[in-house]
Order: sequence, then C-alpha cells, then structure tokens
Amino acid sequence: MKKVMMGNHAVSYGARLSRVDVIAAYPITPQTQIVEELSELCADGKLDAKFIKVESEHSAMASCMGASAAGGRAFTATSSQGLALMHELLHFSSGGRLPIVMANVNRALGPGWNIWTEQTDSLAQRDTGWLQFYCENNQEVLDTVIMSYKIAEQLSLPVMLVLDAFILSHTYEIVDIPEQEAIDGYLPPYKPEIKMDVDNPHAFGALVTPDHYYEIRYKLQETMDRAPEVARKAGEEYGKLVGRPYDIVEPYMLDDADVVIVAAGTLVSNSRAVINEYREKGIKVGLLKLRMFRPFPTKRVRELLAGKKKIAVIDRNISFGATGIFYQELKAALYGQNNGAGSPDIFGFIIGLGGRDVTLEDIAEIVDYTLEKEKNEEDIIWMGLKR
Amino acid sequence: MSKKITFTSIADLPPLVVSMGTTEVNATGSWRYLRPVYHDKTAPCIEGCPASEDIEQYMYWAARGDFDKAWEVLVEENPFPAVCGRVCYHPCESSCNRDHFDQSLGINSIERFIGDHGLEFSLDRFKVAEEREQKIAVAGAGPAGLAAAYHLRRLGYQVTVYEKEEKPGGILQYGIPRYRLPKHILEAEIMRLERFGVEIKTGVQVGKDIPWNEFLQHDAVFLAVGVHKSRKLNVPGEDLDGVIAGLDFLSRINSGEDVSLGKNVAVIGGGNTAMDAVRTALRLGSTPAIYYRRTRAEMPAILDEIEEAEREGIPMEFLVTPVELIGENGALKAMKLQRMELGEPDESGRRRPVPVEGSEYVVEVDNVITAIGEQGDFTSIPEKLIEWGVVKSDAFGQTEQRPVFAGGDIIEQPHTVVHAIGSGKKAAMAIHAYLNGGDIATLADKIHVGNKGGVSFLRFRDGHEGDPVDNHEVVTFENINTSYFTRKDRHQVPELDVKTRITNFEEVKGTIDREAAMDEALRCFNCGVCNMCDNCLVFCPDVAIKRRDDRFRYEIDYAYCKGCGICVVECPRSALSLVPEGK
Repeated sequence: MKKVMMGNHAVSYGARLSRVDVIAAYPITPQTQIVEELSELCADGKLDAKFIKVESEHSAMASCMGASAAGGRAFTATSSQGLALMHELLHFSSGGRLPIVMANVNRALGPGWNIWTEQTDSLAQRDTGWLQFYCENNQEVLDTVIMSYKIAEQLSLPVMLVLDAFILSHTYEIVDIPEQEAIDGYLPPYKPEIKMDVDNPHAFGALVTPDHYYEIRYKLQETMDRAPEVARKAGEEYGKLVGRPYDIVEPYMLDDADVVIVAAGTLVSNSRAVINEYREKGIKVGLLKLRMFRPFPTKRVRELLAGKKKIAVIDRNISFGATGIFYQELKAALYGQNNGAGSPDIFGFIIGLGGRDVTLEDIAEIVDYTLEKEKNEEDIIWMGLKR
Repeated sequence: MSKKITFTSIADLPPLVVSMGTTEVNATGSWRYLRPVYHDKTAPCIEGCPASEDIEQYMYWAARGDFDKAWEVLVEENPFPAVCGRVCYHPCESSCNRDHFDQSLGINSIERFIGDHGLEFSLDRFKVAEEREQKIAVAGAGPAGLAAAYHLRRLGYQVTVYEKEEKPGGILQYGIPRYRLPKHILEAEIMRLERFGVEIKTGVQVGKDIPWNEFLQHDAVFLAVGVHKSRKLNVPGEDLDGVIAGLDFLSRINSGEDVSLGKNVAVIGGGNTAMDAVRTALRLGSTPAIYYRRTRAEMPAILDEIEEAEREGIPMEFLVTPVELIGENGALKAMKLQRMELGEPDESGRRRPVPVEGSEYVVEVDNVITAIGEQGDFTSIPEKLIEWGVVKSDAFGQTEQRPVFAGGDIIEQPHTVVHAIGSGKKAAMAIHAYLNGGDIATLADKIHVGNKGGVSFLRFRDGHEGDPVDNHEVVTFENINTSYFTRKDRHQVPELDVKTRITNFEEVKGTIDREAAMDEALRCFNCGVCNMCDNCLVFCPDVAIKRRDDRFRYEIDYAYCKGCGICVVECPRSALSLVPEGK
C-alpha cells in the first residue's frame, strides 16, 4: 500500500511493521512526530507495544536496554542534544550486546541553538559500537528500520538509522508500505538465547576484570567485522521480498568516472541530479553513496574506488580540530592502496552546517573545483563560507 | 564466596557479559543499613478533633464514593455526624496540613454530607460487642451524656439517660437555634441511639426526681448535666422587665415559645450564646446589636458565627461594658455603657479590658440579652465533687468518688459540642475499664491519637493489631511530598442569601452534593496513612515492593530491599518511615 507520508512517520511505520515490543522515548524536535505517531498507534491498539514515557533520553535508552535484555524488541528515536545525552548508554547497550534500533534525526548541536540538519550528532557517536545507516529518502527510511532489526538481532548489536532533519523528517513523499505478512516472514520474533529472566536471575553487564575485558572487546570488534556482510545480505533478501534491494554502499555511474562524489543522506540525491547534468555534457562524474557508516565498509569502498583519481567527499559535519568526518574515514580506508601506484586525490568539502541549504549549484561548484584542481591543497574546503 | 572462573580463550567466553551462575543467592538486602517500614502516623486533623474522629479514613472512603463505609468510620468515634457537620467549630480544619498548601480541607462539609447520607439511608449498623448485665445511668441527655451512652451501649451495657427537660439534646435542643441545627436532624440522630437500645427518660432530674443515693445504686454513673445559668452582669437595674438571660432566651425560642422583643435589643457578650441570641433576635424582627467589652479579635465565638452575624448586618460595638440598666416604671428604657481599653493579658492570655474613666454614655434599649458566660447549677450534685465551679475530674472524666464519672461542660474543658462528645467517649472507656477491674490510664498509650488528649474508640475496642502505628507521631506539612498534589480551592458550602434568611429560621447553610463531597475528599492528603497510591511500588528500583494479596497495603521483600529510601521519599503522605537496621 502506498501512502504519502513524512520521513518521521516512515520511521513509525517501519517500527510498527517490525512489531516492536517496547518504545521508550523523550520528545525532541525534529524527531517528536516519530514517537508521537507510535504512541497513538499503541493507544489505538494498532500496535501491541508498551510505550514508556521517560524523563530524558538517558532514561529512554535505559528503558530500551531493560526491555531488550528481557527479550523484547526495543525502539527509540532521538536527535542532536538528546543523542548526546544518551552517549553513556550507547556504549552500555552495545557492550551489553542488545539489538536495539534507534532512529536519529540529524540535527545540529547547540549552541547556537539550531534545529536544522547536520550530521555531527550521529557521527560523533561513531566509536560507541553502534551500527549506523544513513538514508536518502522516506522509502529508504521505512525499509531501513525493518532491515535494522534483521541486522541487529543477527549480530546482537544495536543499530542507529539516520535521516536528515526537515529535508526528510518533515517532508512528505510517496512511501510504499510492505505487507505485514511479508515483513513477518522476513523478521521473525526476537528470541535471544540469553535474556533476563526473573525465574532464573543472572547478573548482566557486571564487573569484568582485565583478565577478560580485552577478549570481550575483541569479540565485539569481531562481530563488527562480520556486520557488512550480514547487512549486505539483509538488504539483498529484503530486495527479493519487496522489490527494493539495498546495499551497504551504492555506486552511481561510478565505473568510468573521473571524479567521484562520496556522500551520505540527502546530499546523495542532490549529487545524482548534478551528475546527470554533467554526464549530459559528457563529463564523467560518478557517485558512491555511503549507506553504512559503522562499521565502515572499508573493503567495499576500496574495491569500488580502486584506480579512481579524484574523489570529492561532501561532509555536512565537522570534527573540530580535524576535518570533515566522512573525509577522514575515506582517507583512512584508502591510505596506501593501489599498490603504491598512488592513492587517489581526496578533496574534503564542508558544506551546509546547521541546515544551510545545499543547492545543485553548490554541488556543481564542488565538482568543478575538483575537476579544476590538479592536486588537493587543503584538508578543509569551506563551501559558501561568508568570509 | 563463589569460586573464580577463568576463561582460557575467546571461544570460552559467553556471548555477552552475563554471570555464569544464578544471582538468586545474591540477596542484596544484606547491603541495607536503613530499613523502610510501612508506618502509619496520625493526621493532624485527627489530633485536632476533640472527638478524635478518624477523619483521614473517612476521607479515604468518601473520595471513593463509599459513603456507607465513611459513615461507619465516622460513627466509630462520634454518633452525631449530621449534628457536628452543622454545629462543630471544626478545629480539624485549622489543623489541616492542606492549609499550608492552598486551603484547608472542607472536613466539616464532608462530615455533614456523610451524616446526612446516614440519615437518608437510615444507616444504623451499630454492633453491641456482647450484652452485659451491668446498668449504667447517665445524668443529662446533651452531647456528652448521649455520646457516653452510645459508646457504653456498644460495649454491651444497659444504659439509661435521665434528662430533666422535656426533650433530649441539651444545648443542641435548647441552645443552638434552628437556623443552625434543624430539630429534625438532631432528633433523627438521637432516635437512632434509642433504636440501638439507649434508654432516655426525659422530665427526670437527678438529685431531685431521683434522689442522689438512688442514682448511685447503678454500677456506674456519668454526670453530664451541663451549665445553663447565664452569668449575671452585676449592675444596677438587672431585674428590670426587658432584661433576659441569653440561654433562657434561646431555650424559650427553641421550645416554641413566643418571646416578644422590642425594637432595640442589646446583646451583651462575644461568645456563641451572644451570636446565637443576636441572630435570633434579628429573625424575630428586632434591630439587635452586640456590645462586647474587648475587641473582635478576642471574641470567643466561632469565627464562622461572627462572620455570619456581620454578614447579616448586625452592628457590633467593641470595648464597651454596661454599667447600669435604666428603667422607667420597672421596664427597661436605656443602658449606660462605659468605654474600655485593653490592658495587660489576663490568665486566658487575652488582654484584660480596663474601664476608661469618664467615658460613660447612654443608649436607648428595649431589651438587654445577657450572654457573658454560663455557669453550672450544681445544687443537686454533692459538694465534695465540686471545685472552683466545676466537677473535679481527670482526663477520662473520673471523679474522686467511684463510681461517679463526669463530662461535658461541667468539667474543666472548653464548652463546645465536640469537646462534650469527646469527654463522653473518654468516660465510657474509663467506666468500662473500671467495671472490668482495670485502669484506663494503662491503656492511654494504645488509644491516644496525637498529643492533644484525643483517644480512639476503635483502638480501644480492637487494639488495632497489625501494622505498626505510632499514635503520637503527627504528620506535619514538611512530611508531605507536595509534588504529588495539585492546588485546588475547597468547595464552597451553599447558603441562603442574607435577605431571605433573616426573615425566618430556615437553615442558613446547606449540604454539599455527592460529587462535591467526593471531589473535596479527594483533596485530602491522607496524612500519614497508606491509601494504596502505588508510588512506593512504582519507584522501588529493586522491584522489592508488592501488593499484598490478603489485605490492604504492601509488602517489602527485605531480601532485596537495599534500603535506598526512595519509597519513603516518594510516599506523598509519610506513610513509610526509614529506621536504622537492627533496631
């Protein structure tokens, strides 16, 4: 069934189709409508889930952790400051191996107080042990919620899916809602081997001495290493089911491209449009869309970008004192590749912080800059800065 | 001590950080050094009530709409809820913790609703514990005598009340005007006692119609004959026609007599009798005024009554005292007044009025009604029982002569209906203890509620076994967790408009309706007593609190309670206490 809906409600419907058992969330713009819709679905009896009202995002995640540890499928959503407040428990939930799914609406952090889109909030959580997926449109948002549970529960790790504030969260698009029956086949009820059980109580997440902690960390990383393949298969299987396959990274006109744009979220859509224009003019520009950011899909990125000469990374984020975060990650992934035949020149563009509009002209300017420059000369190329 | 487990490889490790053994052995309650306990305390309203009504409990039931149960709780301590709901000066409300939050609870109006509910549905579920042979006589069918008779009857005694007047009720019958207490309400509550087996013989005066010695032949006797003599002004002209004693005036009106008053009526005094007399005179068509020797602040009358008199437009002249009543042909004509000023405080703590020299002036009056206090007529009571104008007795009404007990206005206590009722209850307990070879003083700790002398008949009767209760610990406003309450004004009591009411003796105040009674009862903090709000259970981080299957309230699983005290802090009403472990 197709419906016109905002990105936030696409999240809600994804959670509903995933038959979540527990939702615990605290309202924050621009996320609030996600849980608002879910609370109504619960109240109306359309979703058989426990909706827990909490006093903070920290408590929201704590509630989700309890629910997940007890064997429930837990969901929450947040944004920006709320995600930052959750930080401690993001480590705790991944360390606890709890397959919680969270939607984060990308919003700039204050001050200056700002409710518009920026990727820094989610990217700042990259070391917490959560998987991260960035969505390009509302359809992908809905589908990613469902796939996230599929992936999370196989790995016993939490997954964060990310959508841009307002550009997706509040924008209405046509979204195809899959049949519940199909999703039920794809996503069977969550049945963990080990869970909290009042009749057989065990201590969860207790003290671990240096004797074993190191190995436990290793195991988490080992699971992360398996994640790209698990996620790829989950997307492939989902595609067979509903006709929309997903991959962890998705190339667009990449094979013969002289300049490759690397982007995530809604910047991808703009890039596609610009690429089409250049292609019409016979200029070979291509795109690599990063859906998965954690774990970083290093292997696939290396394969797909092998032999490329110029790469333009578009970051709507910044790691202060360093550079754009996607830029850093890409450089690290490609360092020393091509057997010494020379790494590609990677250009790092920072644009659209705090929700400043990123137009097709802006992307074209990025392409032109990259085409024009012989070598990259600086770590940050500020786009549209009013100097 | 559990043995140390060492994993030798990654493959050995469990998939997540989880203990290998059960944690059931880890009874974390052993970490506790403070123990939360359910510990009922006394609400300040109950302490403030001279009849020790279990106000908190009947509010609990009233809030839930169970007015039958509320009535049962109420009459456990006081057989006259419909009467007290009308005439009581409600010290409970001035003690109410809610007063510090928004406005005190409308206890009196709820009591009245419950009382009327009892009459409307003919509730009379009084139980006699076991019939006893012993016969007890009561002298005086006022509130003290009838309360004593009621409680003694419930304890199984054969009780006869002797009343010198034609009708029972005492001050309720002959003192308080009908616009405050309609006769049918009073009579209905008294008839309920008669149906219950309390025998009332009217027109019989103890010490006169029954000789004192014959009266003493009973197994125990209770004296509650009241005080009916208005104090004299002791000024020249007091014998003139037109000078009336306040209590006589009220008694004649209440008996249905026609009392003709002139136009200008001066009521002397500032107590309840004065207010009743002046408002009655107004209703008889006169133009009455109050003359009081101190100021409004020192008036001993119930504030409500003073305010009602003011609302009815009655002028009040303060700091004046009559020094002479002037007549013409034996009939009152005028009154000479002297101005007063307030001096040093006297033994009552109020500043003593001192005459101002040369300040006399004369007002024309047709009648003077004296209401400067009452005194007992003890001519029929043996002299040795009297000391300083009252019957000498202890806190439970025990006189020096067995088996004579006393209560009401003839003993040393404030002259209020509710004090009279309280004294009747206490004497009933003392008589029961005496007849069973015991001493009521030994029970004081068990039956006291609060620290102002009130006693609970319920605890006297069943010992209140079960939950630990500290009868003396009274909940203060600081003990209330006000986060759980929202501010809300109290319900207003319906009343007749002034123009209508002063033309007749219709009851001035009305009864609130059922919804208002429930709503008002919901404002109650339920100070100190668990009302199953579930807060402790919801907040317990160890899930160590559960509801009891068998009865009211909760149980704490001390094997897991770590003594964090959250339940105690989050209890809105201080029904939990934290005590040091091992004590």
